[in-house]
Amino acid sequence: MSYVAIKGGKAAIDGAAAATDYMRCMNAVDEPIKLSVIEDQLRLLTSRIVSEGGLYHPKLAALALKQFQGDTLEAAFALRAYRSTKPRLLETPLQDTSKMRCIRRISSAFKDIPGGQMLGATFDYALRLLRLDLANEDPAAFREVAKNFLSNTPEADLPDSFPKVLDALRAEGLLPPLGLMREQAFDITRDPLVFPVPRSAALATMARAETGSLLAMAYSNMRGYGDVHPTVAELRVGYLPVMLPHPVTGELMEAGEVLITECEVVAMYESGNAGDMPVFTLGYGACFGHNEVKAISMAILDRALQKGMRDGPDNPSEDPEFVLLHVDGVDSMGFASHYKMPHYVTFQSDMDRLRTTQGKVRKPGETA
Amino acid sequence: MNIPRNDWPRALCQLDAAEIKAVAATLSCDIEVRDVFLPQAGLGLLSLTDGAFHDPFYLGEIPVARAEVILKTADGYEVQGGCVLVDDRAKLARSIAILDAVLSGKLHGCNVAENLVEKGELMRMQKIGERRQMLAATRVDFSLLEQEDDEDAE
Repeated sequence: MSYVAIKGGKAAIDGAAAATDYMRCMNAVDEPIKLSVIEDQLRLLTSRIVSEGGLYHPKLAALALKQFQGDTLEAAFALRAYRSTKPRLLETPLQDTSKMRCIRRISSAFKDIPGGQMLGATFDYALRLLRLDLANEDPAAFREVAKNFLSNTPEADLPDSFPKVLDALRAEGLLPPLGLMREQAFDITRDPLVFPVPRSAALATMARAETGSLLAMAYSNMRGYGDVHPTVAELRVGYLPVMLPHPVTGELMEAGEVLITECEVVAMYESGNAGDMPVFTLGYGACFGHNEVKAISMAILDRALQKGMRDGPDNPSEDPEFVLLHVDGVDSMGFASHYKMPHYVTFQSDMDRLRTTQGKVRKPGETA
Repeated sequence: MNIPRNDWPRALCQLDAAEIKAVAATLSCDIEVRDVFLPQAGLGLLSLTDGAFHDPFYLGEIPVARAEVILKTADGYEVQGGCVLVDDRAKLARSIAILDAVLSGKLHGCNVAENLVEKGELMRMQKIGERRQMLAATRVDFSLLEQEDDEDAE
């Protein structure tokens, strides 16, 4: 690939930047969007950026969305660029997601899960009909919505966290035993993926994968290019308290909380070695923010990749190299976008070769 | 105040940063404040155990700010304070570290800092209460469904 320098490119690029900002501001009647509006009212979009950017910073994710005018891939790219400028101060101790302060918790495996099922905020049961009243929403009515919800809902005496559904299945001997070997997790931000990679590398890669890419891979498995057939043992959304050592006492203290989505799927049972008791197989998905489709897709792919790593892949979704190298939004968007860059020299070469080839095929006396 | 030291930062974080900084500045204006290290803002790698096999993996990164200070009063009494936050404001972490030292050393003005912690804890509990309300309002009641199932079966 070759590039050529052209006169006047800088002026055009500067003009393009100005034109882009003009497009954002062209309707002078509009108010500039506040970051808090993006963060709160487009919370699911913000969630995508924090997970695909790999950095839990909702405010900066909102800023990136504003700057890139809603382009999720560019916004995630900007968040990653930002993180690359910051020093890494620490690695947290292992955090236990069973301590998550749930705002939503469901299971499709059991009706009665310990602690109960709570739908929280979801569109799962919503009619997909446009709410035309939102088109010209009255600000006063808008402000009343949250107040009315809280005043109409009785205070509840619920625990801080809930037991995991998988714990009950494991206690019954229906699940594989927990791994005893705790190998160091793979850091995808520092080390390249050289296959075969450990499961921790696959989980980390999928946790910051682009939602649509992950869904497409998982969907191929669901439709028949695979055999996971998952049941969602538990899907939970909530705030994970981040426990870090107090700088003076050294004791663990809550340094803040992070919104995450987590999904555990139970899949077809199988026996390990001959004579072993058959047990269900498992898949796990998790990501920053509230993104259920991503967590479910990741859990399905985790299970598919476990099979592929063990027995060799029979389907694309079971192939670690195929899945993990193609689900990153920043990587794939970058490659697609680079085709917009000038390829004048390479294309000139292609044309030269084509003309030469045509010349060889051309019959004597025939003109182009 | 019966809020343990380890819970002070999470309570204080609920408050407006300007309020925390103002109180920390007021309480430390007559005492020597020495930074054990310069207040830092950067990132932390979030380690989780996966829910299926309890394997460790990294979910991603979080902003982290931390500070550690030593306060020395006019009569030579020294007390250490520290703070680490999921946040990117190093100055806020330093202010909370100062309040941590004031509270743990029961220095002059610690009652003001206590009030702040209690106010923050109230706000935190209110937020948790609101989340619980949302859960309670959306709790699924399967008992009716079971009855209907039984009737259908009949």
